[in-house]
Amino acid sequence: MSGSVSRATATRRLSERLTNEVVVSNLGQATLDLQRLADRPLNCYTFGAMGQCSSIGLGIALARPDVRVICLDGDGSLLMNLGSLCTIATTAPRNYALVIWDNEVHQTTGGQPTATAVRSSLAGMARGAGVEKALEVRTEGDLCHAYDRIFAEDGPFVVSVKTEKGRAEGTLDRDVVGYTRRFMRALAALPPQLALR
Amino acid sequence: MADASWSKHMADVLRRNGIRLFATLPDSIVSQVLEPLWGDSECRVVTVCREEEGLGLLSGAFMAGQRGALLMQNSGLGNCVNTLGSLNVASQIPVVLVMSHRGDLGEFNPAQVPVGQAAERILDALDIRHIVPRSIPDLEAQADGLIKLGYTRSLPVAFILPAELTGGKLG
Repeated sequence: MSGSVSRATATRRLSERLTNEVVVSNLGQATLDLQRLADRPLNCYTFGAMGQCSSIGLGIALARPDVRVICLDGDGSLLMNLGSLCTIATTAPRNYALVIWDNEVHQTTGGQPTATAVRSSLAGMARGAGVEKALEVRTEGDLCHAYDRIFAEDGPFVVSVKTEKGRAEGTLDRDVVGYTRRFMRALAALPPQLALR
Repeated sequence: MADASWSKHMADVLRRNGIRLFATLPDSIVSQVLEPLWGDSECRVVTVCREEEGLGLLSGAFMAGQRGALLMQNSGLGNCVNTLGSLNVASQIPVVLVMSHRGDLGEFNPAQVPVGQAAERILDALDIRHIVPRSIPDLEAQADGLIKLGYTRSLPVAFILPAELTGGKLG
């Protein structure tokens, strides 16, 4: 059963909390919402490599353990790279959170159902992979509580957010190399952050 | 007869070019390169579940300032094709690929042959510069230049390690 939170609201509630965190967004809807609603140089947009959002964020988190990294993935994309959950659990960076907009469909390609529309649970699979802080949230209140925990506690977190179906508004700016370079410069310029609590 | 010290040369090449993060899907040949790196306190080796996951991880690390290499069998190149194209080449994120060349001279497993024979053409199709060093002097003569070119172009480069260099895998 899909949820009652819109992806746009979930993106806004996150952006209100952001200071020096890195946000990595999945190709398609997640990148479009983040670009339109909360564009900033520390956003790492992805435009291709379906499935790799969680792994890209993991690499950033391992290379910059002083910076909190939040990935915004999609259910269809994470289902392509479930082994990533095992690598997240094995490397266990405490500065890492994987948030999945789980609307139970392949939204960008026309709304075809994914496995999470039937029986599969991404939070359950994350727990099985060995991620202890694996949550599934269905309401805005529960989502905000999950954000509070991500910003206050050690990770890694995996949070499946049951979101409403629906395409993002607007059109994507696909300056792929330009956004990549902007992100790299912003992260390189970010001085070492205080140790994460 | 292959000189067993090839793997130490390969590990030294990677280390002296500033590579400290290694992603791998184990393979009996490239695992020899990792042996001295597992215990190196400056280096980190992450075993991934599928090779393209390693590309994602190393690409993220590069954007965060750390150079990385992916060590795998050439069958893993087949698993990496879309991510190499739509992430590394499209976004100009360099990575060093180090792969054993199965499916070529001396191969005993027919299932390894098709992707083994296609490996260089796959890399050519993606405009990924690669070398196939057949001896340690050949490796040493080309390796630093290949890695430098990769970071100059900001694109992936690949070492294909043939049985003549590594001794291959005995069936």
